[in-house]
Amino acid sequence: MSDVQEATNQLLDVNLRENQMSVQVTESGPRSESEHLQVTIGATVPTGFEQTAADEVREKLGSSCKISKDRGKIYFDISVDSLAQVHCLRSVDNLFVVVQEFKDYQFKETKEEVLKDFEELAGKLPWSDPLKIWKINTCFKKKKTKRRKINLNSSKQKIDNGRGDTTVEKDVKKEFTNSVSDSQILDCYENPTIKEEVSTLIGDDLTSCKDETEENSKEEGDPEVLKFRVTCNRAGEKHCFSSNEAARDFGGAVQDYFKWKADMTNFDVEVLLNIHDNEIVVGIALTEESLHRRNITHFGPTTLRSTLAYGMLRLCAPQPTDIIVDPMCGTGAIPIEGATEWSNCYHIAGDNNPLAVNRAANNISSLLTKIQVKEGKLSLGLPIDTIQWDICNLPLRTGSIDIIVTDMPFGKRMGSKKRNWNLYPACLREMSRVCRPGTGRAVLLTQDKKCFAKALSGMGHLWRKVHTVWVNIGGLHAAVYLLKRTPQSFVHPSEQDGERCPCTQR
Amino acid sequence: MRLLTHNLLSSHVRGVGPRGFPPRLQATEVRINPVEFNPGFIVRMIPKVEWAALLEAAGNLHLIEVPKEPIQGYEHNEEFLRKMHHVLLEVEVLEGTLQCPESGRVFPLSRGIPNMQLRDEETET
Repeated sequence: MSDVQEATNQLLDVNLRENQMSVQVTESGPRSESEHLQVTIGATVPTGFEQTAADEVREKLGSSCKISKDRGKIYFDISVDSLAQVHCLRSVDNLFVVVQEFKDYQFKETKEEVLKDFEELAGKLPWSDPLKIWKINTCFKKKKTKRRKINLNSSKQKIDNGRGDTTVEKDVKKEFTNSVSDSQILDCYENPTIKEEVSTLIGDDLTSCKDETEENSKEEGDPEVLKFRVTCNRAGEKHCFSSNEAARDFGGAVQDYFKWKADMTNFDVEVLLNIHDNEIVVGIALTEESLHRRNITHFGPTTLRSTLAYGMLRLCAPQPTDIIVDPMCGTGAIPIEGATEWSNCYHIAGDNNPLAVNRAANNISSLLTKIQVKEGKLSLGLPIDTIQWDICNLPLRTGSIDIIVTDMPFGKRMGSKKRNWNLYPACLREMSRVCRPGTGRAVLLTQDKKCFAKALSGMGHLWRKVHTVWVNIGGLHAAVYLLKRTPQSFVHPSEQDGERCPCTQR
Repeated sequence: MRLLTHNLLSSHVRGVGPRGFPPRLQATEVRINPVEFNPGFIVRMIPKVEWAALLEAAGNLHLIEVPKEPIQGYEHNEEFLRKMHHVLLEVEVLEGTLQCPESGRVFPLSRGIPNMQLRDEETET
């Protein structure tokens, strides 16, 4: 609890601390003030994985986190020179810099009064330091977008020159004929969200975590008027106003204060007004919401967000040399995340669909190419292999795998609920066979919770459910189950019941 | 496909059971792909390795300098660890086949990816 208290105190006294920091700067030498700036960063994370994200922040940035009551958000303090590292966090979807937090905001009685208060609030907030952060951050993003666009163009050209059209089916066929070493970063496999997925995965790696200073010097004194928008998220029973009204009035006051231009779509600065019951947080976005969230929410959960893949992997606490398998890997989001973040483990991606297997292999080689571009030297291989197989008949030695992490077919877009009824028990059985007794574990994501519970109920002697994380995947309520493999050895069933394996039914 | 992966694979043709291990490896195209040497990883991986299978696969690929077994004090023997690192992680089979030692069923391996899918009549269940 003392951590939370510490974080809370820090949050409440942003202004006071900045004054203290200024004093320290003059004592410590001629470094510029902005480098010693301490800021509070807010991050949105997949709901259910707040603690996982907090653990990652502590591990990588050394900061303790406050987990908000508003689900899916965490807050932590860093100094400005750690800003680049914040972008390297794997468990956060979106980042923002906190302008001010109100832990217990007193709303007035009538709507008019509340909105008037919001208008007056705009001019009273400590904008200057958060805006400095925003400016530094914009330099990172410009670099990232430029690189991504270059790669986008080059891969588009490849497709155009090759076939003269860019429809999805043609892209898929071209995959087969191209050699695995082609660096096609954006694979529009049936689902446009994969485009976001892969480029997020690779684009994040491209972010230069070091040399932002040269960009900074070029960014001095931008004479153009900034464009902005206000995004308001409101949750709570007792509010007498809507998020639109709050955004509109608060935004109007912000515009008057800064003389910025309001633009809902093509904005430079996104001001966030997050209201959760009596807690209000005003922030400035450091990542683009539209890229990360809305597309995935709209198109559904076939390709896993890399932040979710990371959270799932972290949940099973991979130990060095663990052999980690995703037996239904699809495009390989989970094993690829694993190979990047846990390179002292060995990863295997498998699927029964040859398109998916090829996709995964291409994503891996694209990643290798990207690393090569970034590091500027011959890239080393990643500890990951791809296999085509059936989940119900894994060609793996009994008890040879340490961890199984997978996104099970929900039965909505892939397969069917009816099929899951046979598939889930068969999967769990085969997974229990290959998983090492005693120390092995599995982290399984599914939306078909009923079917999963039933399948698991007959397997208490092989799997023990240790933890459940409730997550929201594009509006669907799904669960991530952490299972531990019991010490009991797997015994082959003595009878062959002649049942057709459900996964051969296509 | 790396030899470490091959070491985990077992043919799952009906009736074959544990005799499906190890699949017989033949390669028509092999690539050497450098991987960052992590001695801690190799040290911990060695107890998990099935040596006979590894030696057989390495032999089929005509690899030289493959240690026959873990030597005394291998944890501190960098030369030994580097050889194991090379054999397990840096040799990639791009084209070839894997054959079930019991049933003779051949699985193709193309572009580095083995296809271990069985037809219905071949499966266990």
